Amino acid sequence: MSLLDVKNLSVRYEPKAHRPLDAVQDVSFSIEPGEFVGLIGESGSGKTTLGTALLRLLQRPGRISGGSITFDGTDITDLSEDELRDLRWRDISTVFQSSMNALNPVTRVEAQFRDVIEQHSNLRGHKVTERIKQLFDMVIIDHKFVSAFPHELSGGMRQRVNLALALALEPKFILLDEPTTGLDVVVQHSILENVRRLQAEQGFAVLFISHDIGTVLDLSDRILVMYAGRIVEEQPAGALLAQPLHPYSKGLLGSYGDPRAETVRITYVPGRPPDLSLPIVGCSFAPRCPERVARCAEVDPPIVPLGAGRAACIVAEAQQREGGSGEHGEPRRTFEGPQFVKTAEESTQALRGDVVLSVENVSKVFTRRRGLAVQRTEAVTDASFVLRKGEVTALVGQSGSGKSTLARMITGVDSPTSGRIVFHGPKGDQEVSGFRGRSLRDYRSDVQMVFQDPYSSINPAKRIGYILARPLANYHGLRGDALRERVKELLETVALTPSERFVNRYGYELSGGQRQRVVIAKALAVEPEIIVADEPISSLDVSIRAEILELLNDLVQSKDVGILYITHDLLSARMLADEVIVLNNGKVVEQGQTLKVIRDPSDAYTRKLIDAIPNPF
Amino acid sequence: MKYFARKFGFFVATLWAVVTLNFLIPRLQPGDPAEIIVKKLAGKDAALDPAQVRAMRAMLGAPDGSLLQQYATYLGELVRGNFGLSYSYYPFKVTEVIGQAFWWTVVLVTVTQVLSFAVGIVLGAYAAWRRNSRFDSVVTLGSTFLGTLQPFWIALLLLYVFGYTLGWFPTSGGYEESTPGLNFAFIQEAVSHSFLPALALLIVTPIGWILGMRNTMIMNLGEDYIRLAKAKGLPDRVVALKYAARNALLPSVTGFALALGGVLGGAILVEQAFDYPGLGRLMGEAVENKDYPLLQTLMLLTTVGVLIANLVADLLYGVLDPRARRAES
Repeated sequence: MSLLDVKNLSVRYEPKAHRPLDAVQDVSFSIEPGEFVGLIGESGSGKTTLGTALLRLLQRPGRISGGSITFDGTDITDLSEDELRDLRWRDISTVFQSSMNALNPVTRVEAQFRDVIEQHSNLRGHKVTERIKQLFDMVIIDHKFVSAFPHELSGGMRQRVNLALALALEPKFILLDEPTTGLDVVVQHSILENVRRLQAEQGFAVLFISHDIGTVLDLSDRILVMYAGRIVEEQPAGALLAQPLHPYSKGLLGSYGDPRAETVRITYVPGRPPDLSLPIVGCSFAPRCPERVARCAEVDPPIVPLGAGRAACIVAEAQQREGGSGEHGEPRRTFEGPQFVKTAEESTQALRGDVVLSVENVSKVFTRRRGLAVQRTEAVTDASFVLRKGEVTALVGQSGSGKSTLARMITGVDSPTSGRIVFHGPKGDQEVSGFRGRSLRDYRSDVQMVFQDPYSSINPAKRIGYILARPLANYHGLRGDALRERVKELLETVALTPSERFVNRYGYELSGGQRQRVVIAKALAVEPEIIVADEPISSLDVSIRAEILELLNDLVQSKDVGILYITHDLLSARMLADEVIVLNNGKVVEQGQTLKVIRDPSDAYTRKLIDAIPNPF
Repeated sequence: MKYFARKFGFFVATLWAVVTLNFLIPRLQPGDPAEIIVKKLAGKDAALDPAQVRAMRAMLGAPDGSLLQQYATYLGELVRGNFGLSYSYYPFKVTEVIGQAFWWTVVLVTVTQVLSFAVGIVLGAYAAWRRNSRFDSVVTLGSTFLGTLQPFWIALLLLYVFGYTLGWFPTSGGYEESTPGLNFAFIQEAVSHSFLPALALLIVTPIGWILGMRNTMIMNLGEDYIRLAKAKGLPDRVVALKYAARNALLPSVTGFALALGGVLGGAILVEQAFDYPGLGRLMGEAVENKDYPLLQTLMLLTTVGVLIANLVADLLYGVLDPRARRAES
């Protein structure tokens, strides 16, 4: 008997102001005791809704509109809150997505363990404290933090505490909903290692929800791929990697490259997922699918046993039936979509470009007065590097490594405590920290920023046309028709075509990838020499990431700008950057051509970063 | 500890500013109390006799000398606890006049504020927990409606219905024949006299707390820690109280401490409507009669009350919200 058995589950949202929407449609799967199952999909695919439904935590206007959930032999689909209570945490526990906020901020960590332990077990008093210490040992956290408040813990520690909390009552099943999203790669890696080890020791089953196919492949025994509210493929991890069945799975796999290869090749899935509040005829993936046949637009593909698991694709089914010799041809492993290619040769070329900005022995010390004592924090120590035209330089390091401080100094927001930053612009060499007023304003048209979150970097009250027109009017004095023309050109540069369709729209009407394109267009408006991009893709879905990387790469080639790409992720640095600078505790520990650094790291910290990249290949 | 010292230093500095403003502001007002009293005694149409005015000034102990000298004397007397004689209750000392009204107001307003806060928090929290239920709609709509009414208007309505028409409660004063003190007859009278003023205040004051608590709590209910608490299978009562309400309470606590500080100002309009012998009514009289010593002392009392409440709110917040505590150390 399976531990968790989901049959034909559907979840419907019925908001008052909008059309009803089936976020989860007719989903069936099961999880065996002790199994580690991954659930992968883009944002909006319904994976978190599915997880919430399994926990029976759906809130209005969402509700389970069909099907059943059986846990350990008990049908929990319609169980009342009182009946569920005994099951909760003792049998089913969870670690949430943004765990920064999953702990009650006003009570000590201990109390938040104690209430749930006392609720569901016979442990009392000192024995509870013992158990909490035992749990802290499991997740490798010092006992002194038992009596801490949540805000006194770092992000990674908080997530470990949440994991310990989930294990408190030795549950049979844990739902992990993007448990490490937003954490540094190294921290992420160590937490997931921890999860895997504890799972092997204690034998609980896991449903691991993530949008990162690398980690899912790395950890899971079996993988469910979700698209537009449905499971489109289910296979053991190895089989999914070797022989993906559904084109969407192929697309997701294609978005993952091997950073050590001479030429990195990643494909991406064009287009966007369908609007689930509108009726869909045929296969929901068909509009984005390179393998579609005429029948795909008519037939809603059922999920049927295929390969080592199941898949919902009539083409894959036909290929299997025909044995590769029929009209549908051989099954393909790759996604025949748009590709983003980065060769080592390109990087070698780029490193010969002209130096446009040089950072010379720069240090930054922050002083904070507290009464009479002055506290000194050295954020950057003696950093030196150059940025070249037509080259992408990646600044890699975990949070607190000083990469944002460096970016602030390069953009002229802060000035270095010692050392200097020199801009080799059209007006000759100028020191950045000397810019004030007018000259700083001029410098801003040479250096532009692209921020991490495209959702908050566009004024929601203004139309796209206006947003792009402002810098043009401010810096180039464009007016009237010339201005309108240039705005259209910019939109076309970032492939938002036809431009007329975007000029009069608002930021919130666009998808994440489109918004990030607008932000990039805005940065390009003033024709800068340098673009500082601070984690420009980390809040985007995998399929969109490749698009944005492609766009940035094209800009470097065609516009001859230099890009400083700030990231904590060495893998994405490899895809885009020609040169990489590794920063640890404010010091440059390693720098060189990206491929060389990745293949042959000389610093221990760089090696740690590389090891943290999930490697399913 | 340094935090407490800093807060206390700030308190002392503000106190000095308050005392000084309290000295200056009445002196900026037009009109001479001695002239007014003489006019009152002699009748409106009689011409003012300068000698009489001088005599009246001397009798009242009205200050002379430069403003700076007056200020020095003022501070000196303040330290000695001498607030002077009341002009309108001459020759009683201001402290005596206030002393008589003090407890009437403190008991009335403190009791109503505490009750309002308790009622408001409980209703607001419950409305948020059962959001969109009938209870929630009734409470929210009812509060919005009642919130537009003024306490003194409600006071007049209550007076008319329960005082005059039904005759259930006395319509003015604080007590009748009994001797003030801790005896049964007096307490009974005081309670029956205070009932309508308290009710007038109780109808309106909880509304702010209800709406504030409901809104913060609804916001908090969307937080991950609430979802997690539910997933933990804790009883609803625990989730609602220890997780949701405990967090939603924080902003209200500061507000409550400040409201308590305002207690000493009394409820001027309501006290006047009921002719209630409290500080509010006294303040109204002091304004009408240009009774500077009384007015100044009352103002000082009120502001000091607010200041102390502010200090308490600051310290209390540190205890309730551990995040604020970290910022201190």
